[in-house]
Amino acid sequence: MNAVIEARDLTKRYGSARGVEDLDFDVEAGAIFGFLGPNGAGKSTTIRTMLDFQRPTHGTVRLLGLDSRRDSVAVHRRTGYLPGELQLFPKLTGRDHVDAFTRARGSPRRTTAQELIERFGIELDRPVRELSKGNRQKVGLLLAFMHDPELLVLDEPTAGLDPLMQEEFQALLGEVADAGRTVFLSSHSLDEVQRVATSVALIRDGRLVVTDTIANLQQQAPVRISLGFAAPVDPDEFRHLPGVRDARADGTRLELSVVGSVDAVVKHAARHDTRQMTARPADLEDLFRRYYVTGTDAETTTPGGRAEDGS
Amino acid sequence: MGAEVAHLDLRSRRKSLLAYGVGLGLYTLVIVALYPAFKDSTSLDKIVTDSPGVAALFGISGSITSPDGWTNANLYANFLPLIVLLLTIGYGAAAVAGEEEAGRLDLVVSLPLSRRRILVEKTAVMIVQAGAVCVLTYGCMLAGRAFDLRLDAWDLATATFGVFLLAISFGCVALAIGAALGERGPALGITATIASAAYLLSSLGPVVSWLDSWRVLSPFYWAVGDNQLTSGLGWDGALVLGGITVAAVVVAMSAFERHDLRG
Repeated sequence: MNAVIEARDLTKRYGSARGVEDLDFDVEAGAIFGFLGPNGAGKSTTIRTMLDFQRPTHGTVRLLGLDSRRDSVAVHRRTGYLPGELQLFPKLTGRDHVDAFTRARGSPRRTTAQELIERFGIELDRPVRELSKGNRQKVGLLLAFMHDPELLVLDEPTAGLDPLMQEEFQALLGEVADAGRTVFLSSHSLDEVQRVATSVALIRDGRLVVTDTIANLQQQAPVRISLGFAAPVDPDEFRHLPGVRDARADGTRLELSVVGSVDAVVKHAARHDTRQMTARPADLEDLFRRYYVTGTDAETTTPGGRAEDGS
Repeated sequence: MGAEVAHLDLRSRRKSLLAYGVGLGLYTLVIVALYPAFKDSTSLDKIVTDSPGVAALFGISGSITSPDGWTNANLYANFLPLIVLLLTIGYGAAAVAGEEEAGRLDLVVSLPLSRRRILVEKTAVMIVQAGAVCVLTYGCMLAGRAFDLRLDAWDLATATFGVFLLAISFGCVALAIGAALGERGPALGITATIASAAYLLSSLGPVVSWLDSWRVLSPFYWAVGDNQLTSGLGWDGALVLGGITVAAVVVAMSAFERHDLRG
């Protein structure tokens, strides 16, 4: 078993308030695991339970092969964490934080820290209360990454970063994963997850709706094909072809939404005088919008697997 | 690995600690320097003998023109414990509960340190703060020898240690309540209320006869209510105050160990 994170029936309830229910997922070594969900879906609850800030109502999590509760100190030593709502010691400088964290972790390595400071232009010499949100966030990133942890747990890491820094940060995530380290990335932005993650779990109302690799999901995601004909074509001809989810005509144009192979569509289009054809690459947004909105009536997929019936 | 959490907490508080120290030190020096002007004032003693109840509210009993009476009335029976308790109860409530409310505890707990370790470091920070202020006060009191305020140096030292233990014990109670509830307000309020009641019990005991036998329930009695300036802090007093401290720390540890940090 090569899983760096193994969650089994992980449940956290707060009295009557909703937490998370029966989460089951694995995160493989070297993966960038996008943990996606709307605000309030249970992303931070999951992370804070994984890291033993709070105890599960039932279920377990193993991180790096260790028990999240019993071995929490060892887990923390090998993990970098960026809180969702980062709060630093306002009167202290970034350097004060870096020094204290370095000593607390017993990590003498400073080259990574220095590289990150230069790369992100991190301001270390002013009290953090004088820094903008983006600059505080950079200090938080430094604290999470500087000891080269095997596992990074990042809760909405790009919040407050300007677009240029977001890109730089996403590049950093790629490098980290290439080095064989694992990233658990919570985000409410599908765009961000789609760009950097290798696999993804969608959480909604405290339950996992889908867990799969991005590649598998992309296969299920609809491709938008736009066809231009010499004369108007009846969309019903296309509507019943295999893979076609939707077909709309607009004069001589036909807009199709296709899942899986486009073979039938292409062959059928060839029967007409087809003047134009454009296809937009598979976009997870349509797929996820369905999950976001309808939640449980969408099929649940298993890692590496195909869609299954049921919830 | 050293005491990084303690270091972060102390660095965050160095200015306020310095202000505490300067303020209390100056106040102590003023009290000491004023002694020669009052030591022969029979009218001042008369106020106390005429209205012992009012005097007792300020923790005063007996002569206030004797060296120990003067020191008790102006410092050890009231002002000094009050100031050091403000420091320790304030820190005790802030150290875990306050940090949790501020959202900073997540980051600290994410370090490879056990919760027990974090709590020990925070207790150490409390000890350092109260210790620094008490040592400073003691130093300023010794300067009183130049102003005829002659107290036995050893008895004064143990009495000051009594104030220190008193402050630590209440500070640890605040720490324990904070660690259990995760809320700074109740930790501060409940502890301050207990401390106020304990203060009144100890200081009113000598003038309200039915209270007198209950004084032993007050930590103040064991620290400053039993002529500690002239007879020193007793072993029994040290044990009572030390016992409360240890019990509170044990409760705080077990509560913090179990506590779900709020996000």
